[in-house]
Amino acid sequence: MENVMGDALQLLVVGMLTVFMILLIVIFLGKGLIALVNKFAPAEQVPQKKVAAMGGGVSVVDAQTKAIIAAAVSQLTGGKGQVKKIEKV
Amino acid sequence: MVEIFQKLYEMTALSNIIADPSFIVMYLIAFLLLYLGIVKHYEPLLLIPIGFGVLIANFPGGDMGVLQAAEDGTIVKDGVAYNIWEMSLPAIAHDLGLMNFLYYMLIKTGFLPPVIFMGVGALTDFGPMLRNLRLAIFGAAAQFGIFLVLICAVLMGFTLKEAASLGIIGGADGPTAIFTTIKLAPHLLGPIAIAAYSYMALVPVIIPLVVKLTCSKKELMINMKDQDKKFPAKNEIKNMRVIKIIFPIAVTTIVAIFVPTAVSLIGMLMFGNLLKEIGSDTSRLFDTISNSIMNTATVFLGLCVGATMTAQAFLNWTTIGIIIGGFLAFALSITAGISMVKIMNLFVKKKINPLIGATGLSAVPMASRVCNEIATKYDPKNHVLNYCMSSNISGVIGSAVAAGVLIKFLS
Repeated sequence: MENVMGDALQLLVVGMLTVFMILLIVIFLGKGLIALVNKFAPAEQVPQKKVAAMGGGVSVVDAQTKAIIAAAVSQLTGGKGQVKKIEKV
Repeated sequence: MVEIFQKLYEMTALSNIIADPSFIVMYLIAFLLLYLGIVKHYEPLLLIPIGFGVLIANFPGGDMGVLQAAEDGTIVKDGVAYNIWEMSLPAIAHDLGLMNFLYYMLIKTGFLPPVIFMGVGALTDFGPMLRNLRLAIFGAAAQFGIFLVLICAVLMGFTLKEAASLGIIGGADGPTAIFTTIKLAPHLLGPIAIAAYSYMALVPVIIPLVVKLTCSKKELMINMKDQDKKFPAKNEIKNMRVIKIIFPIAVTTIVAIFVPTAVSLIGMLMFGNLLKEIGSDTSRLFDTISNSIMNTATVFLGLCVGATMTAQAFLNWTTIGIIIGGFLAFALSITAGISMVKIMNLFVKKKINPLIGATGLSAVPMASRVCNEIATKYDPKNHVLNYCMSSNISGVIGSAVAAGVLIKFLS
């Protein structure tokens, strides 16, 4: 029994040390990779997002959607409310 | 006439079921697993095949239960001894039944778990981990439960190999638990797989319980985004795509050098991930491994694991020990991850939410989702999902490495 417990404790120490060591290597490897790629590889081209706006700026909300939103606002406010700007939140 | 009915009665499974009521207990277990999978939606992709496997394995005369071979390969069926290592596959199918054929071909050879890992890799995004690399260390801390439960299991009377298979449940990774058990204690495969997947399904219950017992409200309200604004990262990633392609190749190489026994799991995980990250050039392969192959592997893995749970193999005190030990392994792994965050917070200015430590065990992405829910409960603006994913994904690597160590030392 003592031998088995000794082996189990040894496994605890060796196992945890190995897991920590491997993940530390993975972390430093990742950091090294990031530094190398930042230095040597061209920056990634990220397509710019269009901002939906109405009344100022470029509008990407189509006329039908505008009409639906305006009708809904009008219905809810009894014709008093007006849509000035549509923004994606 | 009576004689005819007597023969009919003996021909059915009824005579054996009435003679040995333990079969009825196994049917109830099968129905429970099916209920949990179908109605409660707990890991349905696994619990349903496992539950059905349990059901069909426990009909006397059906020949669908897996017979575990002794160390020397001996299997005794109906009084006849066979040596499994000297039998051809068609002979296994003919003499021992279809399920033994599938089990010894797909499971006992250790074929299916790495195949599933390949699919898991194809569905994994290492982006959150690469963006928050320092948090990946908690994936190591959370493996502590594996080794602590190993010691507890030895004290409970399990052999070292059985204890290691029980402890690996704390890694919260089904394929890893199955792979380790096949190598070290195949006779415990059924209960260990059931415990591993059941507790993974119970992550939404276990994590909040451990967090409630170990964390204060102030700690849970640590806002990771605010911390990032106060202490911004030094290195911004300019080309994530290139890094994501190189990363799986580099990790496989490093792990293969240090822990070769973990390569079958880590290597396949990273191979699957590489096929995903390359993009359109390998999209057909990516599609195959993440759908057709993974789904096929899951079906056979579930059925075979279920079929190992025959009444003789499952209804004993060892199973109860595994169920208790498995829970302990899970809870201790979560606690170890949280404790490491707390210790780290004593020394660093950039504080870390302890929930990130709680996700150091695998169970991707459910553990992260659960922790995100806990964080937003205390502060609706505190979304920690991406940060949790870092330690969660590193936990997959950590548990596979822990499995590699156990297999190396004990097999």
